[in-house]
Amino acid sequence: MMSVPNMMSNPLSDYQAPNQVSFSPYEFNGGTILAVAGEDYALIATDTRLSQGFSIHSRDSPKTYPLSNGSVLGCCGFHGDVLTLTKVLGARLQIFEKEHNKPMPTPSVAAMLSTILYYRRFFPYYTHNIVAGLDEEGKGCVYSFDPVGSYEREVFRAKGSASAMLQPLLDNQIGGKNQQSYKVVPIPLKKCVSMVKDVFTSAAERDIYTGDNILISIITKDGVKSEQFPLRRD
Amino acid sequence: MASSMSGPFGNSGPGPLWTGGPAPGQFYNFPGNASIPSNGAAQKTLSPVVMGTSVLAFQFNGGVVIAADMLGSYGSLARFRDCPRLFKVNDSTIIGAAGDYADFQYLTNIIQQHVIDEECLNDGFGYTPKSLHCWLTRVLYNRRSQFNPLWNTYIVVGVEDEKPFLGYVDKIGMAYEAPSLACGFGAYMALPIIRETMEKKPDMNQEEALALIDRCMKLLYYRDARSLNKYQVAVVTKDGVDLRGPIKSQPNWEIAHMIKKKNTGVRMNVVPYDQTVNRV
Amino acid sequence: MFLTRSEYDRGVNTFSPEGRLFQVEYAIEAIKLGSTAIGIQTSEGVVLAVEKRVTSPLIEAASIEKIMEVDKHIACAMSGLIADSKTLIDRARVEAQNHWFTYNEKMNIESVTQAVSNLALQFGDDDRDPGAMSRPFGVALLFAGVDEKGPRLFHMDPSGTFIQYDGKAIGSGSEGAQQALQEVYHKSMTLKEACRSALTILKQVMEEKLNSTNVEMCTVTPGSLFRMFTKDELENIIKDL
Repeated sequence: MMSVPNMMSNPLSDYQAPNQVSFSPYEFNGGTILAVAGEDYALIATDTRLSQGFSIHSRDSPKTYPLSNGSVLGCCGFHGDVLTLTKVLGARLQIFEKEHNKPMPTPSVAAMLSTILYYRRFFPYYTHNIVAGLDEEGKGCVYSFDPVGSYEREVFRAKGSASAMLQPLLDNQIGGKNQQSYKVVPIPLKKCVSMVKDVFTSAAERDIYTGDNILISIITKDGVKSEQFPLRRD
Repeated sequence: MASSMSGPFGNSGPGPLWTGGPAPGQFYNFPGNASIPSNGAAQKTLSPVVMGTSVLAFQFNGGVVIAADMLGSYGSLARFRDCPRLFKVNDSTIIGAAGDYADFQYLTNIIQQHVIDEECLNDGFGYTPKSLHCWLTRVLYNRRSQFNPLWNTYIVVGVEDEKPFLGYVDKIGMAYEAPSLACGFGAYMALPIIRETMEKKPDMNQEEALALIDRCMKLLYYRDARSLNKYQVAVVTKDGVDLRGPIKSQPNWEIAHMIKKKNTGVRMNVVPYDQTVNRV
Repeated sequence: MFLTRSEYDRGVNTFSPEGRLFQVEYAIEAIKLGSTAIGIQTSEGVVLAVEKRVTSPLIEAASIEKIMEVDKHIACAMSGLIADSKTLIDRARVEAQNHWFTYNEKMNIESVTQAVSNLALQFGDDDRDPGAMSRPFGVALLFAGVDEKGPRLFHMDPSGTFIQYDGKAIGSGSEGAQQALQEVYHKSMTLKEACRSALTILKQVMEEKLNSTNVEMCTVTPGSLFRMFTKDELENIIKDL
């Protein structure tokens, strides 16, 4: 980032010292991801905007990455790390499949991702991750990670630039938090999809790093189905 | 530079892909000897010296255009006025670079050597726009991970399988593909115009595309103090790469004297809006 | 096979003109000098039984260990140069733990065997790699365990070749024992029957009289995983043989 000298107070400040340009290996490229685990499905949604500062780089860059074992990884933060991490993960899954003659189970993907992230503990991948898929019993599962590999299995989780707007809504609507005599039941797929569209539409109103489109991927025993839904583009 | 690097992760990183070969993301010197002697001293670009500014690129019906001006700025000094920043890799691929000019020349040399190595094999394979873009992404990401970045933004364009390709990658390895790309000031001033035009006219032909490039390059010359009215433009179609230039666009400062200094104590260097100039 | 013995069995990695690696074949021969070990796979679990050669009454029989636990769900029996097995068992244990650490799941028996077999041919007679081994391993292993595919039994020899078996015998008595195994084995065998059969066959092929101190036996089942038989349990079975 270039340091901008204050020209108002000292019009000559530009000439007094060489303009020092510092190097930062990270950048924030925005993007929001959200995943919900249902009874027999897992849903993971992402917006498709890729941005940097006040610029939009791409309007068609979803942050979900289908993995070869049938689960889907949501990954956002610094896009350079996202590209590298998804490549590393893809390679590790291929190696596992060849070595062990089976696709890697989703809980194992989560465990492995945690170790991959932690091995970079002192120069972390600046990525927020969610793994969505089905567990060995065929139930929907969602694992969320912090950038250095701490992870847990959850029912719903939002990550990325608008996560602070989405998560409380999910806590209330799916988790039944702050509601009196609310019985928590697994959310049906149809209700889940329409709610995800609503929360993303709201987030796009307030967050400049969320917009353009949402891509919703639904993982069931029959595979991954995806649908797109437009968001505001400004 | 390359020979002093043991690998992106020090000694614990991935070893060479084959004996005497490069580690993933490292450079391979044909036929296996280091081309750059190491003097032992650390060489890092922690701040750029001679810089190039915007590169613009977008796709049109049947191909891709890319353009960059020819100025090499030394800080605010317009130091070199004949710096080509477009590099033809082969008949389907071309790259444009912004940022440190020395780093660009360094990497172009390596790419050129790779192209020659590939040609020696004579097996019909070579860089495609996609593969070059992917390779550049890995190289730039590995260099940033060693805190020794190549201070450039690259735009790789070309035609692959008769489809246009446009890829962007910056000095920290942030990469993506999009139908229109720009870096430097062009991302703020030219890209919105390009995007708007492409939305209005999704089926632009080559002439319209070149006219749009010229309009944008002129606009950048008026507004970006680190730009020049001398630029190169390249058109890639399935028939090959057509690299043209230097092209000189004629500026028009006729109405510049009409801009009055506002009474704020700060000098306002306002130049005419490009539409106004086009009318003259 | 010994008719064509010539200078081709000097270098450990030199093929003979007939395409054989003599040192590896000799290593396989070394197994035939070892004590007998038997493995039987049933639908309920896998059993491993080994003979211990107690050559002197002054030997503390319990200190001879020929069945080892690789992981909670994997056991390994061996025959041949037992000291060589230490390296292989170490590798198996490390691989199993590493798999659990990275993937948070139990490693498959086949994968463990594969990982160990990768070690088998890492020998050579040049001095370039001081860490490398100078000769093939002189030990054969039986890997028994339960994983998501159910009970599994694998045999691995010094060439690194590994094959899954329903029943397998290795060591000096292996020829007779294998013949006997083929006669008694059937798909619906219970684990209890298998344990009994294993000891019966051992009894037949052993030179010494079988008792609770000169055999070792273990089972691996989905319920209780790796379990060694105690002296009392062994005696209980032996008295009814």
